[in-house]
Amino acid sequence: MKRGTFAAFVGPSVFIMLALMTLPLLASIVLGLHYITFRNLNEPLWIGLRNYQEVLADAEFWDSLEFTLLFIVAAVPARIVLGLLFALLLDQITRLRGLFIAAALVPFVMTPVVGTLIFRDMFDRGGPYWYWMQQLFDYRLFMNGTTVPLLIIFHSIWTATPFAMIVLFAGLQTLPQESLEAARVDGASWFRQLWHVAIPHLRSLFVFIGLISIMDSYRVFDSVFVLTQQNPIFDSETIMYYNFQVALSFGRLGKANAMSVLTVIGIFVVLIPFLVMTYREQTEES
Amino acid sequence: MTRTSNRFARFVIYIALAIFTVYNVLPFCWTILNSIKLPKDANARVPRFVFSPTGDNYAELWLNMSPEDFAPYGLLLLLIIFLLFAIAFSASRIPAPNSLVYIGCIFVGVLVALALPEVVNTAEFYDYLINSVIVTMGTLCISLTIGALAGYGLARYRHVVSVYILVIALAFRSLPSLALVLPFYYLGQLSGLYDTHILLIFCLVAVNQPFTIWMLRSFFMEIPREIEEAAMIDGAGRLRSFVSVIVPIMWPGIITTGLFTLLLAYNDFLLARILTQINWTLPVGIAQFTGGEDPGHVTLAAAASVSTTMPILFVIIFFQKYLIRGLASGAVKG
Repeated sequence: MKRGTFAAFVGPSVFIMLALMTLPLLASIVLGLHYITFRNLNEPLWIGLRNYQEVLADAEFWDSLEFTLLFIVAAVPARIVLGLLFALLLDQITRLRGLFIAAALVPFVMTPVVGTLIFRDMFDRGGPYWYWMQQLFDYRLFMNGTTVPLLIIFHSIWTATPFAMIVLFAGLQTLPQESLEAARVDGASWFRQLWHVAIPHLRSLFVFIGLISIMDSYRVFDSVFVLTQQNPIFDSETIMYYNFQVALSFGRLGKANAMSVLTVIGIFVVLIPFLVMTYREQTEES
Repeated sequence: MTRTSNRFARFVIYIALAIFTVYNVLPFCWTILNSIKLPKDANARVPRFVFSPTGDNYAELWLNMSPEDFAPYGLLLLLIIFLLFAIAFSASRIPAPNSLVYIGCIFVGVLVALALPEVVNTAEFYDYLINSVIVTMGTLCISLTIGALAGYGLARYRHVVSVYILVIALAFRSLPSLALVLPFYYLGQLSGLYDTHILLIFCLVAVNQPFTIWMLRSFFMEIPREIEEAAMIDGAGRLRSFVSVIVPIMWPGIITTGLFTLLLAYNDFLLARILTQINWTLPVGIAQFTGGEDPGHVTLAAAASVSTTMPILFVIIFFQKYLIRGLASGAVKG
């Protein structure tokens, strides 16, 4: 393919990305240096790095970062382990496989706002989970500062496990048959096959799911919005949610932009090794 | 891996998977039940699985008129929908290109949907549905068109520039969308585009573009170069051979990518919440039910949840094969 043709093919897409992603990013850097509220949208006031100082001194910002990190640490491994577990179970059977997979897609494709809403109903007073917990364990669930963060984490596991399961299940279907055969001939048990053949083979998929999960968890918003009912007493603001509040509830657009610049820097620090890895992979390929 | 032949173990496996399935679908089933309950049944302290069903919640959600007055229109609507589906399914027997028949059916469907509020007194929720449909379709068309062109270019042009574009796209994919949407919000307020479909569509296209080109590129990579080279030897240009040779064999890949785009656009809450004020989409419309202590809210919210989820479930059941293939191919980079 010639350079001119390539430019023509890629042009529209690159233009959209440059115009609608790079410019906003630059804009948020500029806006972050201004004092802007709904009252002075037309004449922002230059205040230099004061927004950044304010964000870094804001205890709520650090709280939200802490909860976001807790969320990642709790939810990401759980999704991968559960996903692997059910992928292995699916691998054992042939009948009804399609049904189990189709059912698993329901929480995954459901609109997150809706999913969270109905998830909350299950745990709210009078909901089945609430009732069964009370009957079986004599535990009365209240929505408070401890349970709501747990529910947010649990909800994310509920919606994302099917994704991990399907990816890993597909990975299990592509195991190198010779190695498995060799292991079988040597009399290796199922666990040894799993440990020495399957898990090493699936390694790149674990990395892939882990990265996607970290990126998604970092920007979790919808479920927090619904489960907290925009009420601060539940003490479960994620970084995106707090950013949203600063922008729209408190009307501090400048400060919110400064915050998003900081979150972008944060995610890039995590991502750089992966970007370098992809770059190497792709240059080798071509 | 080795399958166990132990009967007890197999039994346990099926039980575990059955529990997993119940855990996956129970919340939605419970919501369907709630959506046909009276508020007093839905707010009971003990979950009620047996009750006398009612359609009031759906009527209140969708209509500003009594269900009795709506009945004749409703029947007519059902008839039209049935006819459109019948035509679409028998497309191969109609002496016209299949794609024309599908496009015609979609066109008529959209016309009917837009004309409905003129005849029937629909409630606000119907407007949210229309907004959602417009935004989703707009995003889908623009995103797939430019994404397919770019994905093809990136798959065929072996140069370090392609790698740069891909890596930068991957970086963009990981950005929290709030970092992009706040400047959009600001510029939208200044330019007067705030609360329009166009702004939301372009924002969604941009947010979705990195993912689209990655995924489409990986599908294009699987197509051997010889195919379009043959077409080009026959005298077709790049674009011509792309449109008439590559795209027809790429439909599965395009549908798969389209499904993920559709999910993203239809399910998006944050962008729509920030960039709209009254032209809400369905997820934003539903969020109004999330607070408040009004006992009627539970059943209405359930009806709204079911109404929002049903279209997406239908699409997914219909195209499940493609979705799973897309997930399984591991092409969902980022």
